[in-house]
Amino acid sequence: MTDLAPPPEPGLPALYRDHRGWLEAWLRRRLGNAWDAADLSQDTFLRVLTSAQPLADIREPRAYLLTVGKRLLSNFHQRRSLEQAYLDALAQLPEQSLPSPEHRWILLENLHALDELLDGLKAPVRKAFLWSQLEGLGYCAIAVRLDVSERTVKRYMAQAYEHCLLAEL
Amino acid sequence: MAAPSTEARAAVRAAARWLALLESGQASQRDLQRLAQWRASNSLHENAWQKAQLLRQRFSQLPGELAMATLDRPDAGRRALLKQALGIAALVPTAWLLSRQLPLDAWTADLHTAVGERTQRVLSDGTTLQLNTDSAVDIDLAARRVKLLRGEVAVAVPAAVNLEVQVPYGQVQVRGGEVCVRLLDQACRVSVVNGLATLQPLRGAAVVLQAGQQASLRASGPGPVMALDDLLVGWRDGVLRLDDRPLGDLLLELRRYRAGLLRWAPELERLRVTGTFRLDDTDRVLALLAASLPLEVHARTRYWVTLVPRENRA
Repeated sequence: MTDLAPPPEPGLPALYRDHRGWLEAWLRRRLGNAWDAADLSQDTFLRVLTSAQPLADIREPRAYLLTVGKRLLSNFHQRRSLEQAYLDALAQLPEQSLPSPEHRWILLENLHALDELLDGLKAPVRKAFLWSQLEGLGYCAIAVRLDVSERTVKRYMAQAYEHCLLAEL
Repeated sequence: MAAPSTEARAAVRAAARWLALLESGQASQRDLQRLAQWRASNSLHENAWQKAQLLRQRFSQLPGELAMATLDRPDAGRRALLKQALGIAALVPTAWLLSRQLPLDAWTADLHTAVGERTQRVLSDGTTLQLNTDSAVDIDLAARRVKLLRGEVAVAVPAAVNLEVQVPYGQVQVRGGEVCVRLLDQACRVSVVNGLATLQPLRGAAVVLQAGQQASLRASGPGPVMALDDLLVGWRDGVLRLDDRPLGDLLLELRRYRAGLLRWAPELERLRVTGTFRLDDTDRVLALLAASLPLEVHARTRYWVTLVPRENRA
């Protein structure tokens, strides 16, 4: 059977009606195109709809929407820059070592997940971690590259592991 | 989601340190024994240790060079034409993203689009032409005239510049403004987003439309002037916007952008829809509709799609 969905909280239609156009215009100015803006504005309302915060408690709807929207926008930019770097890297590969289209997507999704996991690490910590994980570089070699002591590299590595593991808790 | 406990956080911190120590190659026999004890002493510890191993695996399974280039990129929010370059879902219309400048001497040019495609061109006088799905125009810059042969064109004409859009039923004159002209079966419809447009039928008196108005134009004359329908001009931004409208309105528009057959059960037309739908992936729009309305998408092939009411199963 198909039960009707419970009626949404009375606040949502009003919130959507009153502020969607405004939010979309705001996003459009930052993104420079309408369809990404439309997507992000839908995502923003979706977040608001599914968040634990009761709509009735939102005193300043626009400020609240902006907070959510800005976070999504920053994720969006991060994702775009990741995609671009990925494409550039793919373009460098010789034809025969290109992954299949399906695999390209899966790989991209994995990279995106790991990118989010690493987000917030300081640059040298991130570099040390990637060199170790992806290039198999020893701490000594990393220490030379970063011009720091091996002890510091060990600390960086512990920091990076902790950061990623905490994010997944 | 509940916040992780202090114990869980402490276990993760310890696991991270153990791993860093192990990888340093400096762990002694004594260290290894202590690690084994630590893991055995508490399930939280063992759990954190396993998670840490999984994390390492996730990195070790990646193709190193590709992953390095991607994850170690210089931070720049650059744009990607991703889908296209990946060879998937080639529905992203390239031409939409490039605006080409037409040289002055190319005084006549043709522009056309396939079903599902949109394109745009900036003329040397600053006028922007956008061509919707399945459309064609002839451009005659010298005569300041665009002839709409098929489909729909939107013109954005700079202030103090004139442009005439010629249709089989007459002409539409635009002087500074944004206007959409769409060919229908026995008429054309003119929608004025900004500025003014003059509808001159083949016979009879002209009518002037202002911003926010639309009217149809037949050989016999202009039809009644009505308020601009937002749904019909959103395509210029690549979207269809609806605010509590019948689904039938959306489907009629959507159909224009899809190659092949899109049909629906008539009773679905009365369902109400609110939202902004992207035109560059109409399959996704259909999936969205199926997710939010009591309907199902039956696709024999990508080119033969029928929407039916979702059955109520007791």
